[in-house]
Amino acid sequence: MKLLHNEYLQLSIRLILGGLFLYAGVGKITTPLDFAASVYNYKLLPDELIGPVATAIPWIEALSGFCLLMGLHTKGGALAISGLLAVFIAILIISAARGLDVECGCFSGVERRVGFLAIFEDLVMLAGALFILSFDRVKLTPYAFLIGRNKS
Amino acid sequence: MQKLSGLIPEKTPFGLALKQCLPLVLLACLLGWTLNYPLLKESFGSGLRIEIQKKQLADLKAKAEQISPDIRFIDLVSAKKLFDERQAIFLDARSPKENAEGSISGSIGISLMSLVKREVDIEKVVPDRSAIIVTYCSGGECDVGVEMAKELVNRGYVNVFVLGEGYPGWSDAGYPVFKRKGGTAS
Repeated sequence: MKLLHNEYLQLSIRLILGGLFLYAGVGKITTPLDFAASVYNYKLLPDELIGPVATAIPWIEALSGFCLLMGLHTKGGALAISGLLAVFIAILIISAARGLDVECGCFSGVERRVGFLAIFEDLVMLAGALFILSFDRVKLTPYAFLIGRNKS
Repeated sequence: MQKLSGLIPEKTPFGLALKQCLPLVLLACLLGWTLNYPLLKESFGSGLRIEIQKKQLADLKAKAEQISPDIRFIDLVSAKKLFDERQAIFLDARSPKENAEGSISGSIGISLMSLVKREVDIEKVVPDRSAIIVTYCSGGECDVGVEMAKELVNRGYVNVFVLGEGYPGWSDAGYPVFKRKGGTAS
């Protein structure tokens, strides 16, 4: 239990999760048509919603990742990431149950098909986001380091 | 936004998280939609779907080029012409389940796996090595049609083509399909 309140553990999880989401978001922002194709492949949305969803999600990922990375609005960023991951997991489970064999579209440039591994990865990240929401007191942050003080 | 923020109780940790989360999501949506306005606009017509299908076909062709330079593609119109003139044998490379849900009329369902594992004797199904064969699967990023074409080329078939648009493209074009589950053919 003491470990959960360790500031360095909290900082590490924040940096890893924030970095992953910033990377995932920026990758999709730079190749919007690729991500739109991934959304289209799941065949869950009507054509009219593919554009709005495919252009908003990468920015939510990137901004939330940046927030976690810097330690700014950390709880908000963690909540946004938790929400996204919960939706992604539900979509992956539905798609796997439908026998859909498509690229998951999780990270740009990383080949990963819909299946157990993608669901497992998202579950691990969801655990990290929920940990930040529940236990992280956001004491050690790169932002505080940059402006020369630690949050208390 | 001030009014909206006032509605959310900040006293609980979840309330604070929600209060921080909403503006973040709103800002992200605004940025995404503003910076990708042309893509967003295309989405409301059928433009984005066509754009995606074109891109997926180009990616599939590039992938096929890497697998084997002998794999050739055929477009929907040319495939339909061969179909009408009964000059080609259409092979459905998808799984039996997908085949049962709908296939190109008169096509033969031979999954890639059954061909590779030699569960199906393709030499008996298509004895003529110079016959025109069109393989297909689910379109999009599906590549089993390409893999089947490669396997057939390796076994000495010389006129093998891939229908990149696959069954969905054929069906969307209104060309004849066969659906086993409902027992209807159109």
